[in-house]
Amino acid sequence: MSRAAPHPVRISARLMLVVCGWLFLLQVAVILLTLGQTATETVGDGLLARTMETGAANAVTAVVVSFRGFDTLGEVTVLFLAATGIGLLFSARPERTGTNTGPGSLDEGLAEGNPPVPTMAAPPPERVLSQPNEILANGIRLIYPVLLLFGVYVVVHGHLSPGGGFQGGVIIATAFMLRMLADPSFVLPPIVIAVLESFSGSGFVLFGLIGLVLAGTFLGNVLPHSAASTGLLVSAGVIPLIYILVGIKVGAEVGAIFQDMLEHHPHQEH
Amino acid sequence: MLDALDTPGVHHALYAVGSMALFSIGLYGLLTRRHLLKIFMSLAIMEMAVYLLFIGLTTQPGRTAPILSDGLVEFAGTADPVPQALTLTALVIALAVLALGVSMSIRYHQLTGTTDVETMSALKDP
Amino acid sequence: MDQILLQSPLLTPTPIWLIALPLLVAFLSPLWGRARWPLLFGVHLGLFALALWLLAGVQDGPLIETLVIAPPLGIHLHADAVSLLLVALLTFAVALVAAFLWQGARAPHWQSRQAFVLIMLLSAGCNGMLLTGDLFNLYVFIEIAGVSAYLLSALRRDAAALEAGLKYLIIGAVSAVFILFATVLTYITTGTLNLAAIGMAFADIPAAMQILIGLLLLVGLGIKAELFPFNVWVPEIYRGSDPEASALFSGVVVKAFLFVLFNLVFLILADPAVVGRWLMILGGVTMVIAELTALRQRDLRRMLAYSSLGQVGLITLALGFAETTVVAGGLFHLVNHTLAKLLLFMVAALMLSRASSGHLDALTGIARRLPLAAGLFVLGSLSMLGLPPLAGFMSKLWIMAGFAEAGVFWPIALILLGALLEAAYFFRWIALFYRPVPAPRLASDPVGLPTASSAVTWPLLVLAVLLIGFGLAPVLLEPALNLAAEVLLDRSGAIEAVMGVRP
Repeated sequence: MSRAAPHPVRISARLMLVVCGWLFLLQVAVILLTLGQTATETVGDGLLARTMETGAANAVTAVVVSFRGFDTLGEVTVLFLAATGIGLLFSARPERTGTNTGPGSLDEGLAEGNPPVPTMAAPPPERVLSQPNEILANGIRLIYPVLLLFGVYVVVHGHLSPGGGFQGGVIIATAFMLRMLADPSFVLPPIVIAVLESFSGSGFVLFGLIGLVLAGTFLGNVLPHSAASTGLLVSAGVIPLIYILVGIKVGAEVGAIFQDMLEHHPHQEH
Repeated sequence: MLDALDTPGVHHALYAVGSMALFSIGLYGLLTRRHLLKIFMSLAIMEMAVYLLFIGLTTQPGRTAPILSDGLVEFAGTADPVPQALTLTALVIALAVLALGVSMSIRYHQLTGTTDVETMSALKDP
Repeated sequence: MDQILLQSPLLTPTPIWLIALPLLVAFLSPLWGRARWPLLFGVHLGLFALALWLLAGVQDGPLIETLVIAPPLGIHLHADAVSLLLVALLTFAVALVAAFLWQGARAPHWQSRQAFVLIMLLSAGCNGMLLTGDLFNLYVFIEIAGVSAYLLSALRRDAAALEAGLKYLIIGAVSAVFILFATVLTYITTGTLNLAAIGMAFADIPAAMQILIGLLLLVGLGIKAELFPFNVWVPEIYRGSDPEASALFSGVVVKAFLFVLFNLVFLILADPAVVGRWLMILGGVTMVIAELTALRQRDLRRMLAYSSLGQVGLITLALGFAETTVVAGGLFHLVNHTLAKLLLFMVAALMLSRASSGHLDALTGIARRLPLAAGLFVLGSLSMLGLPPLAGFMSKLWIMAGFAEAGVFWPIALILLGALLEAAYFFRWIALFYRPVPAPRLASDPVGLPTASSAVTWPLLVLAVLLIGFGLAPVLLEPALNLAAEVLLDRSGAIEAVMGVRP
């Protein structure tokens, strides 16, 4: 633990190999022993039987957005948190420890308790992306609108076919990322991202609260969702609407994460 | 002759062995690697192993995706939708945590020039 | 129409608001501008009032709120006398930290929008963990609280803070993998995720699998609840983070995880005696080792971190006994520890803003410059080590009386030993604060710090008043705590409320 010891106790890799191998055998043995006695009746069967009530043709979507929509709300919250944090980490240059000038001196008292960081080991990390080559630039020019359209398609058909808000949102974000690689001047305006993520996140919660007021439970389905309309684009009540919000949210957050990591520009946020 | 291999028991056993092997590889990497990015890779491998186990053990050969299309009118003979939905959720959470961890590592590397967890000692006893 | 409006959930709030409101306010964070801190404070005060109001309604039985589809198929919120008591405690704690930051935090990283979002979502995550009745949903809320906590500890963005954040993130991700693994195995073997349904089905799955799931959950939750031997990372993170963030970790997050751990033990296991005994041993070991290590610490934040571990060990020791009076005492100690640790960490924040570091030498004689803060530190530490008439004394007395009643004496010896060690190191620090120092070292305040307004001390005074008040009149809390302990231990009641049948 202490710094005086020149070599901290390092557990030998070979010992670890033995430990992990032993754990592997143990886990496999336990799982194989249990295989004969896995659950015969699961919650999934019960939910499948009731999926028809939601009017969604895709049972996974019915589970993700409706039956377990609360999990999904939590999940977009984690994504929001991560994007917020990454924006924070990559925003302004953090103050180097040990400097007494600038706005950093305000929290000097708090930062001072740490041993000085070897500043010589901190090269200025200005990374310049190389200029995109012709193939990249033109290829992406071709594929960008198609990707966007495909992403939107996947989002709005989430209740009908494989896919949905996450998958489509990530496709849209990928389109943005490719565009950023091909065109260094392409920027997702931070203000637009902030508006989109606030709108979609709070929209999700508001749908939940509307469900609470009108349908009696949080995230209850308040729009018509008859089983007869199953398979149509306009069906399943609020499910596609919530999934579209999720798509916007995921697209905006993941796009913002890509942008922060690429460090095109100082990300101003307050 | 090979039909015997296409039974649920064999499939599940294969999934169990494979995913636990992945899990152990991830655990081994986590315990022995010192580079921050390799630690995050090991964590990701462990997570993937858990998803694989989940998806593999809750379906059976011959089941279809739980989606009403191609003439299906009722959910019969389909896979359990809950593990798929949960995996989708867990996947996005893991992605978010991983992206955050990598970003923190990048920032830490920019500040101190180190990526080795064992040299991270600013917080130990002085 | 009037009838519908009167019954509308907007007018009769349900537990979901405890989670949905912080989420909504956090998502709308760009709108709030400069009103962020008052809003954080106000929202949490409102949630505290709501939790108390709901608490009054669950005296006779838990309130089950269905989300979309009735349990055991769907997710539900399980608001009972113990979870709502903890929600009330934690929202109150967050409100006080928010008030402290509103008045006291002058550092730029605390002024940012992100800090507001992180604290808001930390509290939403903890409320969700306390209220949810679904295992996978629990995992999701653990991640919300976890990610906010990693970011809060890295908020300062210098090397030390990033190191703390990275270590927290790695250890937290490991814990999350284990919890997820346990969740997956539970679904595969029982086919359900609802905690009450798992409680009914758990005894039927093979014993080896029960042990594997139990161990995975113990490792996962033990890491987050800071139990030995999974807690070696804690002091480093508390040292690297700002004391305000550490106050939230020690006072709020750990408490939520302790509840989750014991709720799972008492709900899922038909006979929690064996596991409870092991947890008691873990708690005792955690307490003794942490208190012994705290003796040697020369950094204020590390010392407080070890002291926090010691108290967590004590609470685990008490809750693991699974007997109503001891558990009630353990819950009382949990409340007291939250109050006292908030007080100590906020005092530490005040001191660190005036001293050059958190090291012993730098804090020598600080009482001359910050008399009120030093006095409050004395009060908090006296309550921590259990001197009458403070609250910490009463809770330790309850726990020991409960053990004595049951005829088990080794925990009493351990608790007394722990209190002795606590006295040793707290008095060392107190003596140091009041040691006279040569004038020149007093004269210069560090670089032009804007002095925090005196309003910053009122959250501290509120805590001090509560510590004295609960110490003088524990009867204020007694009925609520006894009921909470009964509800926590009443497995069949909790399962019946959800499933409709007694196990």
